[in-house]
Amino acid sequence: MNDNELSTMVRESVADIRSSTPVDQVIRRGRAVRAWRRRVPAAAGALVVAGGAALGVTALAPSGHPAPAAAGTAGSRPAIVQLAAWTVAKQANGDIDVTIRQLLHPAQLQATLRADGLPAHVSFSGHPDSAVCQPYSRNESVIVLYRTLTWTLTRGGSDVFTIRPSQLPSGSGLSITVEKTNSFPGFLDPAFALVHASQQCTG
Amino acid sequence: MVVRTQQQDFAEFYSGAADECLRTVVVSIGDQDTAQELVDEAFARAWASWRTVSRHPAPKAWVVRTALNAGISRWRRRRREVPVPDPARAADLPAANGASASQVDPQIMAALMRLPARQREVVALRLILDLDTARTAEVLGIAPGTVMAHMGRAMAALRLDLQPELQQENQS
Repeated sequence: MNDNELSTMVRESVADIRSSTPVDQVIRRGRAVRAWRRRVPAAAGALVVAGGAALGVTALAPSGHPAPAAAGTAGSRPAIVQLAAWTVAKQANGDIDVTIRQLLHPAQLQATLRADGLPAHVSFSGHPDSAVCQPYSRNESVIVLYRTLTWTLTRGGSDVFTIRPSQLPSGSGLSITVEKTNSFPGFLDPAFALVHASQQCTG
Repeated sequence: MVVRTQQQDFAEFYSGAADECLRTVVVSIGDQDTAQELVDEAFARAWASWRTVSRHPAPKAWVVRTALNAGISRWRRRRREVPVPDPARAADLPAANGASASQVDPQIMAALMRLPARQREVVALRLILDLDTARTAEVLGIAPGTVMAHMGRAMAALRLDLQPELQQENQS
């Protein structure tokens, strides 16, 4: 069997596969992504800059969570935490919108997500810390991550993720690894893994 | 003069690329239901960013790359060891060869699934999406030489795996 015969065999093995999704459905979903994408900058635009706050953290309306020291608010945690590098916005339904503009301050992002109820391990080095986090199987990760995450690429160069902590299985967390991609200049290359939550991994 | 709307443009792209992208992701991850969900989401994101994606030199590759990124952690591609699945949740997941997998030749798919993930991705992009070595390297973020090495090893492994089947078919 030569390479051509083998190639043909592989191609023919999947030739009957057809996408079952009508284009209208894809476009509807795409419109929802667009609408959601417009919502985040609108919310961010209403931010009040907390003067002198460390790392440029910005606070909006309180959401009843404990306040991070950097936000400088007493007894409450802002619904939106914004640094120059990223924004974390907790929605009323518990979903968390994360906008990443620069790959800076991963530890603070991890702490912010944890304060919002999401056990997470964040790395911007491009190398997930496999020594401290134990991942679930690929099949489990694929299904759960599909339910948990929506990822939007914005034309402005930001990557926005909506994370639904309610969809995570009990005792699990999210490993978030982001790096710049060589494949598509201007885009970030995020990777997510479902991990077992632990002190070492998700804090 | 015919003025095409962005939606018409996207619909035409979708019509010509959806099956091919789906097949590529099926070969990459092995599960057709999951592949369909991931490809749908990738096309939705393509539509949401259509002005950018439509100018991409290989929009189909963008879709496949986005689908794979959305669903498969780079962690899993880098780590060779298989973590112990949680049996309590395993029952909730669709079987690897679910009902819709009947459209796929099971023996060839099994042989593909025995390949390391990276070799499988290279086979999918080269043979199903018909990308050349350079574009495949770009999509996967690896060197062209590495693509060729993966392809060579994958073809050798598949030949070894499928040769008996082919001989059997020829005899019957």
